[in-house]
Amino acid sequence: MTTEPATTPARVPLWRDTRILRAFIQIVGLGVVALIVYVLWFNLTNNLRRQGISTSFDFLRRPGGVNVADAPISAGAPVTRFIWLGIKNTFALALPGIPLLTLIGILVGVGRLSTNWVVAKLSALYVEVLRNTPPLLVIFVAFYVLILPLPTVADPATPLNLFVITNRRLSVPWFESVGANASTLWWVVLGAAVVAYLIARWRTRVNERTGEPHHRVLWSIGFFAVVTVAAWLILGRPVGISVPKPAGRIVEGGLSGLGAYFAVLIALVLYTASHVAEIVRGSILAVPRGQSEAANALALSGFQRLRFVVLPQAMRIAIPPIINQYLNYVKNTSLAIAIGFSEVTLIVFQLIGNGYPAPQLVLLLMGAYLIFSLTISILINLINRRLQLVGR
Amino acid sequence: MQRRLIALLAVLAMVMAACTTAAEDTPTTGGDGDTPATSGDGTTPDDGTTDTTGPAVLPQDEGGVLAAVQDRGAVNCGVNDAVPGFGFSTAEGEFAGFDIDFCKALAVALFGDVEAVNYQPLTAQQRFTALQSGEIDVLIRNTTWTATRDGSEGATFLHTTFYDGQGMMVTADSGIESIEDMENASVCVLSGTTTELNLATRFDSAGIPYTPQTFEDNETLQSAFAAGQCDGWTSDKSQLAGVRSNYPDSQGGPESLVILEETFSKEPLGPAVSDGDSQWAQIVDWVVIATILGEELGIDSTNVDSFADTEDAEIRRFLGLEITDEEGNTSIFDPGLGLEPGWAGDVIREVGNYGEIFDRNLGPDTPLGLDRGLNALWTDGGLLYGPPYR
Repeated sequence: MTTEPATTPARVPLWRDTRILRAFIQIVGLGVVALIVYVLWFNLTNNLRRQGISTSFDFLRRPGGVNVADAPISAGAPVTRFIWLGIKNTFALALPGIPLLTLIGILVGVGRLSTNWVVAKLSALYVEVLRNTPPLLVIFVAFYVLILPLPTVADPATPLNLFVITNRRLSVPWFESVGANASTLWWVVLGAAVVAYLIARWRTRVNERTGEPHHRVLWSIGFFAVVTVAAWLILGRPVGISVPKPAGRIVEGGLSGLGAYFAVLIALVLYTASHVAEIVRGSILAVPRGQSEAANALALSGFQRLRFVVLPQAMRIAIPPIINQYLNYVKNTSLAIAIGFSEVTLIVFQLIGNGYPAPQLVLLLMGAYLIFSLTISILINLINRRLQLVGR
Repeated sequence: MQRRLIALLAVLAMVMAACTTAAEDTPTTGGDGDTPATSGDGTTPDDGTTDTTGPAVLPQDEGGVLAAVQDRGAVNCGVNDAVPGFGFSTAEGEFAGFDIDFCKALAVALFGDVEAVNYQPLTAQQRFTALQSGEIDVLIRNTTWTATRDGSEGATFLHTTFYDGQGMMVTADSGIESIEDMENASVCVLSGTTTELNLATRFDSAGIPYTPQTFEDNETLQSAFAAGQCDGWTSDKSQLAGVRSNYPDSQGGPESLVILEETFSKEPLGPAVSDGDSQWAQIVDWVVIATILGEELGIDSTNVDSFADTEDAEIRRFLGLEITDEEGNTSIFDPGLGLEPGWAGDVIREVGNYGEIFDRNLGPDTPLGLDRGLNALWTDGGLLYGPPYR
């Protein structure tokens, strides 16, 4: 504008000085945001006060009075315990769900680009059907079509005498502690896993340095198996396998999950995987064609081409949008409320139903989801940074 | 100069902010920003709860709920749409039921028109938020009166319309005869209800292990129950009777279900309004009482007009008929509730007295087939007792 020294030294009026105008616009913008926040806050607190609804958090220590299936706590436990229980149950959906949906997503995404006509069309059908359906509907379908028609508890299905399948809960064989040394064994197993990982890394480095075969899977799994079995024997077999058995109205032993849990897990994993598949497909297409042609020229097999050349580059592109899908997955678990799986949203709503104040509880609920999302973002971003190509 | 600009922008911002609040306010009040219309984002836990059909009203608005309702020309009534007998939608898409009839009674008392109601179907969890935010004027949705709800939910409970109690329904072939037989049983229950608390209290105090299965709505719950996911279904006995009467023949029909003898809670169901507007609360209260008084005085929808010449002073006061005193002056009794004289007669004529409402929706001739029990007049050994109309 007219601030160059070459022009006449006439003072620019303040209201036409770009620097001042820019600063001014920012201050006004900030002021408007602050005002909106203030008005909303004022509305909330004022209305709550007028209606005589308390704004304190004292209720957190009062008894929650919520019914939760498989809960280790009674209905008289304090509100905080119930919120933690809800967070744990949401976590129980997130933990197996995220790896599963990633795996299915990658398989279907690669499948859509397959030269095999049947595989490609089936993958396309899967993606188009699930991607264009509301997740709530998918959950209802899973509940009504997959879970409810399962055998009743009076007449359970027990395939191989190892599993117990009813529409109330599904059970699989699981470890059970029988001896006093069980916890020692679990620590040894954890330690062995860490060492096995370090061994795999060491073998990789040896391979990179000297070119000799790394055999890292063999080395690490072999080490892990030997240490685990040895420790199990030395500690006096403190851990056994518990096989589930139907016992009247319940199932004893094994590891079991409620029907509603599996309905939500299956529905949301399949739903989110369809989105991941599209991201994977797009990312693979974004890898320059020359890369796979070069791999071809090196006489790599189709699988090697995918595993060592295309996918590593495609996943770098795919990770940021996939994080979004993980976050969506975790947030969508709140839809479990529709079929009554007690994740954190349902429990918070039940607490509200029991007369505890909604504003504070919803605030806590938002905080819980925020922490979930931030944790996932941070973890995946750390992985992303390690995988990122170093710019040269 | 720029100070003026700042002032101008600040004013603009304030007007904008005021408009965003005023937009949800009653159109009659100006957008002065001082009368916030909603309780802010915090009280609406889910996007499913904020579907306003009419302008929202809070008691602190000018003139109170009554004025706002009269402006609107209809009562916003929060109801249930899935409990046979109490609140449900018919095949024609009309709302019907015991609770619905009290919505209609309120509309008749205010406007003389049973149609002057906006029904707002609500889930158990949405109902108090809807009441607090002013989305509905009155909640008549088989809601149990408890101290916490009165005290912390910003609700004021009014005259009980139905004295209920919680029970347990099981399948006839399950062999369960009492709660004590239900060890390790899975129990279906609706979330966000006092039923849930009573269930926990009953089983925990007896030391009976059980698995609760919580559902959001009765339809999903019924599917899960029919598929055998639950051994028992617990709810207010009246609701269980309603479900049982409607149980589809494909799943065994009503005979395949048994409601256990035991009643393990008190469930006084009645209308609730938002705290802070006693005039509106009194109107709702007295509409309920009027139906009870109608039955007590022997006035029903068929004979209400035959009382025009009655000598009974109480009936004349109740029906808003002219009363002649010893000096020959005539007057019409007006208790000052804010309703037109004769409203009680209109309610009885259009909707009926308590006994008629009960018999029409819940009584022995309906699929529910409930006895009056506690819901009989006090003169017949029940709990219904209306304060005198004078």
